[in-house]
Amino acid sequence: MLDIWRHPTGLIGSCLLALVLGAAVFGAVLAPYDPQLFQPLARLQGPSAGHWLGTDQFGRDILSRILHGARATIAFGVGATLLGVVAGAVIGVTAGVVGTWVDSLIMRTIDGLLAVPDLLFTLLIVTVLGGGTGHAMLAVAVAFTPGMARISRSAVLSIRTREFVQAATARGESRIYIMAAEVLPNSVGPLIVEATIRVSFAVLLGATLGFLGLGAQPPSTEWGLMIAEARQFMFRNPWCVAAPGIAIAMTAMGFNLFGDALRDVFDPRGRR
Amino acid sequence: MSAPTMPDTARPVLDVQGYSLTYATRTGPFEALKSIDLSVMRGRTMGLVGESGSGKTSLAWAILRYLPANAREGDGRLLLSGEDLRAKSPGEITDLRGRRIGMVFQDPSTSLNPTLTLGRQLTEVLVRHRKHSMTQAKAEAEALLARTGISRPAEMMTRFPHQASGGEKQRVVIATAFACNPECIIFDEPTTALDVITARQIQDLFVRLQEDTGVAALYISHDLALVSRIAHDVAVIHRGAIVEKGPSRQIFATPREDYTRMLLAAVPRPTVRLVTGEPSPQAPAILRLEGATIRYGEKNLIDRLLRREQAEVVGARDVSFALREGEILGIVGESGSGKSTIARAIAGLNDFSGTIALRERIFHARREIDRAFRRNVQIIFQNPDGSLNPRQRIRDILARPLKLYDLVPKTGLDARIAELLEQVRLPRDFAQRYPHQLSGGEKQRVAIARAFAAEPQVVLCDEITSSLDVSVQASVARLLVDLQTRTGATCLFITHDINLVRQLAHRIAVMHRGECVDLFAAADHAAPDRHSYTRLLLDAVPNAAGA
Repeated sequence: MLDIWRHPTGLIGSCLLALVLGAAVFGAVLAPYDPQLFQPLARLQGPSAGHWLGTDQFGRDILSRILHGARATIAFGVGATLLGVVAGAVIGVTAGVVGTWVDSLIMRTIDGLLAVPDLLFTLLIVTVLGGGTGHAMLAVAVAFTPGMARISRSAVLSIRTREFVQAATARGESRIYIMAAEVLPNSVGPLIVEATIRVSFAVLLGATLGFLGLGAQPPSTEWGLMIAEARQFMFRNPWCVAAPGIAIAMTAMGFNLFGDALRDVFDPRGRR
Repeated sequence: MSAPTMPDTARPVLDVQGYSLTYATRTGPFEALKSIDLSVMRGRTMGLVGESGSGKTSLAWAILRYLPANAREGDGRLLLSGEDLRAKSPGEITDLRGRRIGMVFQDPSTSLNPTLTLGRQLTEVLVRHRKHSMTQAKAEAEALLARTGISRPAEMMTRFPHQASGGEKQRVVIATAFACNPECIIFDEPTTALDVITARQIQDLFVRLQEDTGVAALYISHDLALVSRIAHDVAVIHRGAIVEKGPSRQIFATPREDYTRMLLAAVPRPTVRLVTGEPSPQAPAILRLEGATIRYGEKNLIDRLLRREQAEVVGARDVSFALREGEILGIVGESGSGKSTIARAIAGLNDFSGTIALRERIFHARREIDRAFRRNVQIIFQNPDGSLNPRQRIRDILARPLKLYDLVPKTGLDARIAELLEQVRLPRDFAQRYPHQLSGGEKQRVAIARAFAAEPQVVLCDEITSSLDVSVQASVARLLVDLQTRTGATCLFITHDINLVRQLAHRIAVMHRGECVDLFAAADHAAPDRHSYTRLLLDAVPNAAGA
């Protein structure tokens, strides 16, 4: 894992991730103010010694709100992705291992679902289920499932035709052993990489849903919601929109670059 | 001729002087060529022989001035009829390629443009470099193709590359290379991608054209036997340096360097038998195939729903033979002849019809094959990079068959693994390594150890030496024969290398287009009752160097 530090984009990604994860863990302790504290006399102020990132339309400290919101945002991204990955992997691995008409049926259905863009898919589900953090998370997970299924199936298939798997078959190994010992360890690499990159999309989707009022509800400190609430005051204090925007971008970029670097490092043949 | 000066017989056409080349890699600079000195005179063929990674192809790229971005050239000169190619501008080089220096690469299907007819690709060169008119070029191209032995040149010119066979395509590439009467032509493994019989025809064509035109040829190959037959001079390259060069006859008869001697010793000589002794003729059959047919192609859901007809591919048709206990049966044939298909069916990887019998147990389909059968019949694959799980240590790879078939108690596992490694002449501490830390030959030894770990009665070897370098091939073949003798296992040895199979097989089966056309004792290879295809195969293979 040390190799990731020697990877140029990996280093940037790790630093961003460390910053964002640090905020998620220690944010509540580090925050200088209560994120819900109204200060009617200090509304829409620019950055100052007292409020590093200024205050919003209710006089709440923006830095404190961002630090508090980190946990919700990351939990959303990681949670939604994890659900999607597990569901997708189960479907994809089943299709890849069973083969025959089961595989054809699953894959054609997935081809159909993949034709719907992620955002449209999530919006559709949230519209049916109703808004809220839990539903938004489920929606993103469902939207990710077909893509993850496709990737896990192809990872399984590309490994399954390799000669060491055939050697195991010729040796008389059971299907379960072949799956568990030969195929899966060699296909988790691409899955982890894909999942890491997808966390960044999940964060963006979560923020989008928050912005549209379909995800987290006020007075949550979710970043997308913060942007939505402060939108009208953008010209009086740009910081109330820019700060959560930058936080979202940093999180998405951190996961994305880290995932890219993982892809390079994960290959055991690159290791000496 | 467009040679700038008077033809000079004393001056080499191609002259490489003290040329060095380094590649910048992530792990630091890699010296690909170290102060190479090489010259080819008019009318001569210089064979450049080396193993993979020796730098032979890098030299060809350097002469043709196709260097990758990470190449750093050192000192030295690359002279074509006295002119330094390194001093030329990219425009001058483009003009020179194809006109004064030609090239023929390994795979004709990648060196031809798939969207243009063969005739168009040939006439293009004539129009551009020799300023022919289109009609002139067409007539000339037909004459050139006729010279390469294509029977209906006018018809061949209208075809696209995918409508021609590999041999026909390579003839067109050769015709293109000779089209402008260049001073020098570089051949980089021109027959490696072709099957043996076609390869032989292309080699004969090369010799004839080279003699007719007197072109200076640099012929790059890993095949010593081939080079000894067609080259006047030979240079042996090893790790980027030329270790020995001189007239072909001298190099092959009295090599001076150890490396050359080692390479020569590694070339399979059919007259030198690796196996000693024969299984007794009364030995019972251990494995029998009767009327085994293997078909490929399984209909998918959509095809079935639409009732689409799918052409069925037959991999092997009605194959019958028996392996006698303790013998090595060789199977030879060209690629696609069905030899691997047979091995995979016996290993229970392909479905089959007909019967496969192991002693008294008879199997009629793949699903009947059980673990007891699989334990007794082990397979070793061609490519050791693929056949070892990259995430398992050598210890775990070798331990698996022992655990699966319950062959040794848990406490004896490590001792047995050490013993297995020793048997294939690998150090004990390799047990802790991962496959990617081993060389190709070492990996193949591990694969062999794994197959023998199961203590099988039959071992199927599917081209196990083909992906290895010549010098490694010989030691792996010896190891296999040694293990076979010690364990008494019966072997099915599949290869396309006819000289090798004559060295180590007791009997040889010949496959052609999915059928077993001939089966004979190795000593009877020249008997008059050999199948015509067997004779064709045997004649196509060059005799071993110096033999």
